[in-house]
Amino acid sequence: MTVVPAQQGGSGGTSGLYDVLELVLDRGLVIDAFVRVSLVGIEILKIDIRVVVASVDTYLRFAEACNRLDLEAGPHRSPGLPDLVGEITESGARGKSKGALSGAAQTISDAFKEAREESEPEPRPRARRTASRRKEEQE
Amino acid sequence: MTTYVYGIARRGHGRLPERMGGIGDPPCPVRTVEQGDLVALVSDAPQELRPKRRDLLAHQNVLAEAGAGGPVLPMRFGGVSPDDDAVRAVLAEHEKRYLERLEALDGKVEYNVKATHDEEAVLHQVLAENAELRAMSDANRKAGGGTYEQKLRLGERIAAAVQQREATDAVMVERALEDASEERSPGPQSTGWLANISFLVKREHTAEFLAAVDTLRERAPHLVLQVHGPLPPYSFTG
Repeated sequence: MTVVPAQQGGSGGTSGLYDVLELVLDRGLVIDAFVRVSLVGIEILKIDIRVVVASVDTYLRFAEACNRLDLEAGPHRSPGLPDLVGEITESGARGKSKGALSGAAQTISDAFKEAREESEPEPRPRARRTASRRKEEQE
Repeated sequence: MTTYVYGIARRGHGRLPERMGGIGDPPCPVRTVEQGDLVALVSDAPQELRPKRRDLLAHQNVLAEAGAGGPVLPMRFGGVSPDDDAVRAVLAEHEKRYLERLEALDGKVEYNVKATHDEEAVLHQVLAENAELRAMSDANRKAGGGTYEQKLRLGERIAAAVQQREATDAVMVERALEDASEERSPGPQSTGWLANISFLVKREHTAEFLAAVDTLRERAPHLVLQVHGPLPPYSFTG
């Protein structure tokens, strides 16, 4: 996906929509006299992608990760992260058919989860996913 | 017919993307509404405007195109005026403020920087810096991973140490990049990042800004930095 063609000329100008969505929706000039389009469903963007939360799940995950950690190897080895932006952009396009942004945002956040899970050496415990689901619903 | 507003520029801007496709399906052609020394970049608003992916992109693309030709105050997505006259009234009412802001934004672009920890690298650091945690981790490993309780205890301590690093690293990111920028603005509140900061950067200094990001990457390889820009100055409209 090519976005913002006019932004060429500086490296790093390859932002996909997801990367700047929060700015388009939450920053920029607002004029009180204008009617604002309803942004129902946008709060799903606040879903945590990789956040340290004080939870048993996180503690166990960290403890396991430390067990696997090879302290003899350099701390700066390539983390082997997937090309998140590419993954998101591709999957995000599927959101088109859903129309509303809530659909697109859901697809995008799903893509994030997929990308994250694909990058994990072993499957994430089911409990963690349900826990974060619950969190979304509460928010 | 209601009027959708993309952004506001000075009348002498000269390179506004008129007739470019804006929001809507089929795209409503972009046009201008002039008032005094200001000009608003507008199009008709589709009957039922919702934050669709296509329309968000159109909003973004119109602003990027216009911004390439001179300073533009970007509107937040989704502002609809009852008609063109109401747009003129707003331009007239706030002319001084908008002109001042356009002056301040002339030749500048926004870069948004998001930082996360590379988990493995940050765990390495935390263990390397703390002998006690290292000993706990070693003991667990020798015990075949440790009991549930032992794992919890270690994990809790490590989570606290990582959280502490998140706070100090957020400050480090801001300090490392502020000198290469004119202004900075914390990004919208969202979780998942240890830092989410927008920087206003002079166009002619973008190379220096990106070099500062690269230097930070080298200096702090446990950070994963995402840089997005150049963007319309959404975070600096005043």
